[in-house]
Amino acid sequence: MGFPKWRGSPRAALWIGAAIMLADPVARAADSEVERLQKELDQTQEQLSKAREDLSTTQDSLGELRQRVDAMEAAAPELAPEPTPAATARIAPVNADNPAISFVVDTEFAQDAKDSWESIGYPNGSKFSLQNAELFISAPIDPFLRGYASINGSSDEGFDVEEAALVTTALPWNLTVKGGRFFADVGRLPHWHDESLPFVDRPPSIDRLIGGESGAEGAELSWLMPIDYYVELTGGIYNTVGSENLSDLNDNGFFGRRDFGELTFLARPHTYLDLTDTWNVELGGTWYGVPQNRTRNLWGLDVTLRHQPGTSGLYQGLVIGTEWYWNDQRFTERDDATGAVVDRFREDRQGGYGYLEAFFARSFSAGARFDYSEAPEGPEDLARTASAFVTWKPSEFQRLRFQFDNSWGDEPTNQRYTLQWTAFIGSHSHGFAQR
Amino acid sequence: MASPSASPRPILSFVLAALLAGVVAEPAAAVLRVVASTPDVADITRQIGGDRVSVVTIAEGTQDPHKVPVKPSFVTKLNRADALVVQGLSLEHAFVPALLEAARNPRIMPGAPGYIDASLYVTPLEVPSSQSRVQGELHPLGNPHYNLDPEQGLLMARAIAEGLERVDPQGADAYRAGQARFAALLKGKIAEWQTLAAPLRGLKVVSYHEDLVYLAKRYGLELVGTIEVKPGIPATPGHLEELLGTMQREQVKVIVREVSYDPGLARTLAERTGARLAQISVMAGGLGEPGYVASIEANLRALVAAATGEVAS
Repeated sequence: MGFPKWRGSPRAALWIGAAIMLADPVARAADSEVERLQKELDQTQEQLSKAREDLSTTQDSLGELRQRVDAMEAAAPELAPEPTPAATARIAPVNADNPAISFVVDTEFAQDAKDSWESIGYPNGSKFSLQNAELFISAPIDPFLRGYASINGSSDEGFDVEEAALVTTALPWNLTVKGGRFFADVGRLPHWHDESLPFVDRPPSIDRLIGGESGAEGAELSWLMPIDYYVELTGGIYNTVGSENLSDLNDNGFFGRRDFGELTFLARPHTYLDLTDTWNVELGGTWYGVPQNRTRNLWGLDVTLRHQPGTSGLYQGLVIGTEWYWNDQRFTERDDATGAVVDRFREDRQGGYGYLEAFFARSFSAGARFDYSEAPEGPEDLARTASAFVTWKPSEFQRLRFQFDNSWGDEPTNQRYTLQWTAFIGSHSHGFAQR
Repeated sequence: MASPSASPRPILSFVLAALLAGVVAEPAAAVLRVVASTPDVADITRQIGGDRVSVVTIAEGTQDPHKVPVKPSFVTKLNRADALVVQGLSLEHAFVPALLEAARNPRIMPGAPGYIDASLYVTPLEVPSSQSRVQGELHPLGNPHYNLDPEQGLLMARAIAEGLERVDPQGADAYRAGQARFAALLKGKIAEWQTLAAPLRGLKVVSYHEDLVYLAKRYGLELVGTIEVKPGIPATPGHLEELLGTMQREQVKVIVREVSYDPGLARTLAERTGARLAQISVMAGGLGEPGYVASIEANLRALVAAATGEVAS
């Protein structure tokens, strides 16, 4: 097998020459076919290249679309399952328009060593008592106003409307007006409700000089200064200040008419400073008085220092608070039978307290308080009280507190032991003012 | 005759023009004053708003969000804020309502355009069927700790971006771009975390508070119990004994201690059961990691480290 051997024969050369001559047109035809095929191949490759480009473009578009769909899916809310129709109409619950309602039960057992504390407002001996049962309701009234009321009852004082007030919410220039019956903006603890106090009782000095909590009927205007620091100024005008005074006024035939100068006027600046990230201080001053005949001028100063580290360990923080009041008041003594003025005299008295409370492990706190008080009228009747208290909160809505008080002064030394049990039903909060 | 240069008119005109220019000119970059209730919504707001927003945060990462102190210094911030961003679902019930009451700013009250609720598009879990406090301190709208699930972060960003746009329509493009940027970043991390968190699937854990429900659903954790008796109700000896039995029976390997809660009880339980402790934070920054994304990653790394017995990096 293989090619025939080349022997140099002239015939063979002729045959070869003839074959070449015959083959030339065939070869030429083959070349043109190759060229055609080559062209087709080139065209196909071009088409393929174009198709690849199109595919790439399509893939890019698909990628972009996928990203957009992902973004839309991420942004879209997870739809809740369609509710099964349970009724033929949507009917609002009957209590839909009700305000927020809460109720406080504040009860205690107290035991005195001696029967000698009547002068500073404590009943004597051993006693279970309902210190405070408070129904508190609040709600916005419209876009410009909110209202709240506190209906309060206790073993000693029966039931009363402690507060019923309207507060503006949309006045310009950072102004707020409050009107009705409410706790006037006096100091710090005088306008706290009983169940919010850090002690089982209101400090005796506040009780005596202010007349219980700072209950009042009247109107208040307060202004939050539009600066970086918290500064609030309050001005008020009331029938009188002090729940006991208000009660006396209403019980003794006050029908709403008296000279304008006999009303009580109030001014209070109040500020707050962050000393460090964890230490801060609040400072306030109070003046209220009855201008006619300079009947009364009460000056007060309150300072609260707080350590709020926000730690999760045993120690959780500290509050050190003090208030001091100076009361200059004119008293008129009348004859019981005729009402004639028997005597007029002025008393210049003072009192105040200081306390420290440390907070531990979320549920516990313990503290001590010292109180100095003088009677606003009559004999000075000096009373000093040193107290120690421990509070345990099994939950946010229940509190047990034990307090020991030792009192001495113009009356014999006495000791009092009090166990207080307080619980909150509903969403109870007196808001920013009693923080 | 006075020379023209001595006339005060040109000077007065110049001063007047300068004053008018000062009054009329827009500030170079309009800044929206935003107060954020938690570090999580603060960080997302910053990332979306960029230079257009100035953000002040009320709560700190190490604090218990249910017990943030009500400081008057925040009242002044809220008073002048253009917007308030909250995590919502009543997480901030302990401090935001009281601060708003004193802030005198109708623009940021609930329902107003400036009140931006980051939970708007979140589907709440554990919505209580009744409001009895027998069940503890319940949140009526559902469990508010959804921020621990990073997928919810995308929904938070959407609500925040829309809220910012509502208050500042001129910045709409910037807020949308900011949201897209944040979403891209978070999505990339979510893909990474899916691999990172693989060891958490089926892991039985006990936490201090009921705050892991969204995280558990996302990564397959099995929640066996809480150190608290109920939400907001501190542990009692009886409850701890019961929990101890449950942990031993269920072979719980990890106890989650949120940085805002006392470590003592978690440590004691860990010692008694041999479980490992994982320290996480329910708000950004609690573990020292700045920002929402870093905080999620720190939480996941802590959980994975406890699950696998490795030291958290």
